[in-house]
Formats: sequence, C-alpha cells, structure tokens
Amino acid sequence: MAVPLIFKTIEESGLSSWIRDSPSVFAYWFILSFHAIGMALLVGASVIIDLRILGVARDLPLSPLKGLYGIIWTGFWIQVVSGALLLIAYPTKALTNPDFYIKLTLIGLAVAVMHTIKKRVFGDSSLTEAAMMMKGKALATWSLMFWVGAVTAGRLLAYTYNYLKFDYRG
Amino acid sequence: MNLAHAHILLNHVPIIGTLMTLGLFLVSLVANRKDLTQASLALFSLIALLAIPTYMSGNAAEDVIKEFPGVSMALIETHQGAAMLAFVFMEITGAISLAGLWQFSRSTKNLRASLPGRLNLSGVLLFAIITAGLMAVTGNTGGEIRHPEIVLGQQATSIVGSVGGEIIASIKHFVIDSSMWVWPVLEDLHFLGLILILGSMGVLNLRILGFLKQLPVAPLHWFIPWGIAGFFINVVTGLLFFLGMPGFYTVNVIFQIKMLTVLLAGGNLLLFNCTSAFRALEHLGPGEDAPPFAKFIAASQIFLWIAVIVLGRYIPYGEVT
Repeated sequence: MAVPLIFKTIEESGLSSWIRDSPSVFAYWFILSFHAIGMALLVGASVIIDLRILGVARDLPLSPLKGLYGIIWTGFWIQVVSGALLLIAYPTKALTNPDFYIKLTLIGLAVAVMHTIKKRVFGDSSLTEAAMMMKGKALATWSLMFWVGAVTAGRLLAYTYNYLKFDYRG
Repeated sequence: MNLAHAHILLNHVPIIGTLMTLGLFLVSLVANRKDLTQASLALFSLIALLAIPTYMSGNAAEDVIKEFPGVSMALIETHQGAAMLAFVFMEITGAISLAGLWQFSRSTKNLRASLPGRLNLSGVLLFAIITAGLMAVTGNTGGEIRHPEIVLGQQATSIVGSVGGEIIASIKHFVIDSSMWVWPVLEDLHFLGLILILGSMGVLNLRILGFLKQLPVAPLHWFIPWGIAGFFINVVTGLLFFLGMPGFYTVNVIFQIKMLTVLLAGGNLLLFNCTSAFRALEHLGPGEDAPPFAKFIAASQIFLWIAVIVLGRYIPYGEVT
C-alpha cells in the first residue's frame, strides 16, 4: 500500500521536525510526558469510579465521585492536544500502523462507556446507592477492559510500527 | 560523591537493618506488643524501599572498581548474585509488611486478633528470616571484594551467590533475548501499575486537599492497597528492566533522579498513609477541612508521583552514548 504523500508534507513542516528532532527538553519528551500525565488523570480517575461501582470501598458514598468527571475531561483534553502534537511529529509511523486505529477505537469505546456511566448511574438522583451499583456493574467492567486495552494498544505503538517516517522503514 | 560512594553508604541499611528489625519484630511477637509490631512492619517496608537504590548502585560500584588491581570479577559476580536474591526477598518482605501496616492503620485492634492478620505476620516472619540469611551472605561476599583482611585462608565460595548469578543471567536472557514481546508487555504492566498508583493515591490526596469534599476520608483508605499493588507491580517490572539493561540505567542521571523521587514518594505513602499517622484523618466527614499539614503532605505526594511519571518518560533523553 502506498503511503499518502500528505504524511511527507506534514513531516517536513517546521512544527513536526521541531517536535521530532529538537534537542530541547521541551520538545518530544515534554509532550510525551504530558501524554503520560493525561493518561494517569483520564484512566486513573475512570478506574476509581469503576472500582467503586464494582464494590471496592463500599462504605464510600458513590454520588460525590461524580466530581471525578472534571479530572476525566481534563485528562481527556490533555490527551487530545498532546496526542495531536505527537501525531504531527510522526504521522506515517502512527497512521500506517493498524494498532493505532485499534487504540483510537478502544479509547472511543472507553470514553463512551464513561459518558454512559455518568448519564445512567450519576444522572438519576432518585437512585439508591445499591441501585446505582447494580445499574453500573456491567458498564464499569466494560470500562476497565477498554481502558486496559487502550493503554496496551498505546504502549505497543512503540514496538509495532512499519514505518518510522515517510521514507524510512523502521 | 559518586554512585559507588552511595553504594557504600547504603549497603549497611538493608543488611544491619533487616537483622535489627527482625529482632524487634520477634520481641514484639513474644511480648505481644502491637505498637512494636507496627514499628517493625514500618521498618521492614522502609528498608525494602531503601534496598532499591542499594541494589542498583551496586552496578555503578562494580563499574568503578572492576579495573582495580586485586579485584576479582568472580567475587563481584558472587556478591551480585547473592544481592539480587536478598533484594527480591527483601521486596517481598516489604510488600507483606506494608499490607499488614495498612491493616494496622485502619483499626486499633491487634493484628494478631484476626486470621488475615496472623497470616500476614507469619508471612513477614518467614520472609524476613530468609531475607536476613541472604543479607548476611550478601554482606559477607560484598566485604570480600575489597577487604582481603577478612578472608581467612581460601576465599569462601557461596552457593547462594552463584545460584543468584545464574538467575540474573537467565532473567536477562528472558527480558532481552527470549522474545521481542517480553519488554513491551513489561512496559504495559508498568503503565497499568502507574495508573493504579495515581488513581488511588490521587483520589485520596485530592480529597485531603479539599477537592471532592463531600467524600468522607476514612473509606478512601480502601483504595490504598490498590495503590500499593500498583507500586509493587512497578518495582517488579522495574527490576526486570534494570536486570535486562543494567548498563543503560546505571549511568543514566535521569533514571537516578527518578529513583530518588520514587523513594520520596514511596516513603511518603508508607509513612503518612499506611501508619497510624493516618488515623488522625479518619474522622474527617463530608465537607470537613483537613489540617494544613495533611494538605501539605497530600500536595507533595501528588507532585512527587507526577514527577516520577515525567522523569520516567525522560529516561531515554538521559541516555549516555
């Protein structure tokens, strides 16, 4: 399959080559650090909600955990911005790797599940704690699986790519 | 000061510390003193934490002295083998101790009063005794490297040391050569461990800082074992990375700073969240404000864990070529 020429154009842009090749501490590793912090916020906060719904820390009131969605969305937007910058740095590397699309799909599913938990479990204030847990059980299990899958797919990106750059097979 | 110096400073802590703490622990069990038992568990966990830089700085010490006249590479390798085994058993002892300490911090009851508590203390006792024996061999073989005055007649050959040396070699083979997927899977586990630590300790520390204020503090304590589990996963996977590429990590300054930060963050978690010091916060109900000192600790812990993530990501940047 031919690699689209647009990837080459992106790679030759100033921003792309700066992120990729600059020796500055604020280039590639800085963005990658933000991507890891964003992951910790987004997935860490989601996992706490999931674990509580599944029965960990049962004597902890469930409804105030709705406040963690602020952290989840903060983490999500950090991921969108840092992820976009990493994609600009290595478009061919990411977009020619099937694993990248698996990762995005799993993130989409995990975020959709978290959104559904917010609506169904936290959105109805007439529910008792027991009813909230009952309603959220399957969703929380799916959320955990999708997050583990997304993190795994993301981590494997560093080891499964076919091209490092447009004209360079890794 | 270099890392070889750090190794000389640190190496007495796990060896003498384990023996002394084992003594205190035995006394506490015989005398049935729960305060002394708690102190012993805290010390075992702390020693397990300090054993991390002790073991890793050993590689740096090796690099410095291996060219010295009269230094035997065989002795170094024997010492290293014993040290690795002692380190692994120390980490297990520390992990069981930390779990027991966590149970202690939740209730004022004696850990011996419950079955899980008794199992925990038996586990600590068993592993601490094995660790103490391995530490003794480690100290002995380590001393022989640079102290000919303590070698009487023939140099002692240590079976423990040579078995440990073979295990180091097979772990290195497993991590690096056995399959191209071992390293990525370990990296994945390392990231999942990170998420468990940040999620669990994050929600607790954010509550102490005053976010999510409707949550009572006491039940958040249930998340701490998940954080400890994450920390343990990362110590194990981290050790496997180190054993796979010791040369890469030993000379990497960013890795060294990361290890120091891990010690501070782990020590913070151990001393403030897993000892009876935490009990003061257990009374905080919904909407109540934590004391300023607790907030300071919570903020420092969040800062330290985030610093650990950032430093971890910068390790390749610090590669010495």
